[in-house]
Amino acid sequence: MSGFTRYLIQRLVAALLTLIGVATIVFFLLRLLPGDPARIIAGLLASEEEIQRIRVQLGLDKPLWMQYIIFMGRLIGGDLGLSARTSQPVLVEVAARLPNTLKLAVVSTILATVVGVSAGVIAATRRYSLFDYIASFGSLIGISMPVYWLGLLLIILFAVKLHWLPAAGAEKPTSIILPSLTLALFSVALVARMTRASMLEVLNQDYIRTARAKGLKERTVIFRHALQNAFIPVLTVIGLQFGALLGGAVLTESVFGWPGIGLLLVDSIFARDYPVVQGIVLIFSAMFILVNLIVDILYAYIDPRIRYG
Amino acid sequence: MKAYTHRLWASHPGFHFLILFLLITLVAASCAPSTTPTPTSAPQPAEKPTETQAPPTVPPKPAEKTTFRIAVGIDPDTLDPVASTTSTVMNMVEYVVQTLVRIDKEGNVQPQLAESWEVSEDGLTVTFHLRKGVKFHDGTPFNAESAKFNIERMLDPDLRVPIRAPFTSIESVEAVDEYTIRLHMKEPFPPLVSAFALTTAGMISPDSVEKYGNSYKNIVHPVGTGPYVFKERVKGDHITVEKFADYWGEKPYYDVVKFQIVPEAATRESLLLAGQVDLIILPPASDLPALKQNPDVEVLLAPSDRTIFIAINNRDPVLKDKRVRQALNYAVDKKAIIEKVLFGAGDIMDAPMAPSLFGYCKVGEYPYDPEKAKALLKESGHETLELNFIAPTGRYVQDFQAAQAISGYLEEVGVHAPVKTMDWPSYVATITAPPEKNTTQLHYLGWAPSYLDAAQQMIQFLSTYAPPHGLETSFYKNEKVDELILKAKKETNPEVRKQLYCEASKIVWDDAPWIFLWVQRFPIVYSSKITGVSYIPTEMFDAIYARPK
Repeated sequence: MSGFTRYLIQRLVAALLTLIGVATIVFFLLRLLPGDPARIIAGLLASEEEIQRIRVQLGLDKPLWMQYIIFMGRLIGGDLGLSARTSQPVLVEVAARLPNTLKLAVVSTILATVVGVSAGVIAATRRYSLFDYIASFGSLIGISMPVYWLGLLLIILFAVKLHWLPAAGAEKPTSIILPSLTLALFSVALVARMTRASMLEVLNQDYIRTARAKGLKERTVIFRHALQNAFIPVLTVIGLQFGALLGGAVLTESVFGWPGIGLLLVDSIFARDYPVVQGIVLIFSAMFILVNLIVDILYAYIDPRIRYG
Repeated sequence: MKAYTHRLWASHPGFHFLILFLLITLVAASCAPSTTPTPTSAPQPAEKPTETQAPPTVPPKPAEKTTFRIAVGIDPDTLDPVASTTSTVMNMVEYVVQTLVRIDKEGNVQPQLAESWEVSEDGLTVTFHLRKGVKFHDGTPFNAESAKFNIERMLDPDLRVPIRAPFTSIESVEAVDEYTIRLHMKEPFPPLVSAFALTTAGMISPDSVEKYGNSYKNIVHPVGTGPYVFKERVKGDHITVEKFADYWGEKPYYDVVKFQIVPEAATRESLLLAGQVDLIILPPASDLPALKQNPDVEVLLAPSDRTIFIAINNRDPVLKDKRVRQALNYAVDKKAIIEKVLFGAGDIMDAPMAPSLFGYCKVGEYPYDPEKAKALLKESGHETLELNFIAPTGRYVQDFQAAQAISGYLEEVGVHAPVKTMDWPSYVATITAPPEKNTTQLHYLGWAPSYLDAAQQMIQFLSTYAPPHGLETSFYKNEKVDELILKAKKETNPEVRKQLYCEASKIVWDDAPWIFLWVQRFPIVYSSKITGVSYIPTEMFDAIYARPK
């Protein structure tokens, strides 16, 4: 077979093994937590007979190694199981909420990128100006402010006092404004600081001096040459932030009653709903593995050295 | 230059994330809008026969639908009545699904889907006479057959029914005629009729069990007889119900009721203050004084059946001395804590149960008396003590804060008991550990019987109910109390039963297996523009007949 095909198979096998590893780790990690899922799900008013019945229904009365085999068996068949709390398929529970988190993560990141990069570029090009100091100070506040507190402040201002925006929920088109603002503020600070630092470094480079000497317009110098190169480390920061947001901005979702995956994850951990927690971790792992796989395959396709190296 | 930049980009880790970002954006953009309701088509009620009078000359303009908006803190685990676990979920389900009897504001049992009932002398036969002319939302009739179906479903061992215990003494159900059912009991269970107010015994249409996305084992779209019809549920966001045109009873005012899921108490309060919802439950306790002053909202501190206490480990070598336990009771100023920490959301306990329970009798008090506490401790030979004290956080109104205050009071009488907290499942695991493994000495807990009868409260003092057999987490054992409780369980004469519980209560009070704290109030806050809001003393709001002033 061609080197490319062999590489492809190698990567697929590696991806599969990684997923199995993740599934195993999360399975055992969850069961290390103290607490009996059957009792928590049944509530304090349930009798011991009912709790035992639920335990059997959930398969928790079986020995651990048997539970693991059943779990892996189902997983390989593509079955993530049923939520212990709601008895509905884990996939349904996740699918109901994942789009909301995606929406929030995407909008927040776009907001943070646009505002952050602009602020960073202006701060870098007008170094030591008033704007620069305000931007730096603003960044510091942005990074330090607790999400929970900021969210509530925004609610009180824009919903209670001004009546401009909805305080919670995801129903109206305007519902996304406050939560994404809250989330974006932290990222904006990071992005702005990174952009500023990176721009400053690039602006000192020889090729910038060359570009200016060539007589190019300042705007071309800044955006075409400097920013394009300065943007690389900034992209890392944005990427990392986005990944973190995807993990579910639990506090923001909680404060704004935003029906996302973060809240589902935390609620499920508190309810010891093992299948849902396992399902969410696996879905996210699969997503990241898939993306890495695609990028690496694209690489291998473009650059022959990688497959043979 | 361009090739250089390209290579730089592609080899950078950020590149991966850009791909991820673009992929996700694509996926998100192509996804259906996030607020698509789960596929449910509301069952159409049977068409009303057209009037035979002269038709109106001008068709009336369709009025705008009036909506009542409520914010609650829990996303329901399930809408299946038999699988009910929490009062908030039951509160919502009861807009759609009804029970044979209901509890009124005073805690008395009232007819609902059953008009009357009889219990035989020996307590082994219970007969319900059902209301006639009642329809389910799908048009099918409510009758003995459907009642029998529901009761048998509730008793089906294959189904998950956490609060099945009150009904397990039912041997069989008989449909005597179209509107009469008879329950044959294995043994007498005096609180049975009262238990039939529980949502667990809610009546759903047997026909609906295989439709609308339902299955026999799991109802996601309840079809009941209530004043509202289930319309849609968006998980984590809201549940909507619409007025039932053919409701058998008094019709409510609002066309639509929307329950919004908002886990954060402060956000719920903001929603109310912003005028975006009309009623909320459980606002942040510290805001209660301000809310009471606010002319735009009404605060209703509804009495409930939830007793809050500190369970003392009665098997502990030090704590098994009654004097120590009584000392702990005298050491705490409950009145001050209720006022300053709970902001009024509690009433001091004067018996081991809430006053709304059948079987309650006022027993006594443990007033704040630190000198007496010190004296008792000295007498028992423990002038100073070090105790392990745990409390949950956010489970009950101001739980951790109250526990800290209590810790302070204990410190003042020489008992060093700093309070620790942990997440709920770990907490439950800790307090229900079997006696050999149990490390708790003091733990903060709340107990709310699901139906208003002393039977479900007094099991907290029944020694055979201690872990691992149940939740008598104090490990209290008094043979006389055990005897009285077991006798009362089967006593069919209500007066005698009351007396048995009263006698047991007096002994328990004196034995002080708990630090008896207070009966928690259930805070309901609603817009001043609304009237007709009440409560049911089982931690539920009653707003079905709410209307604008």
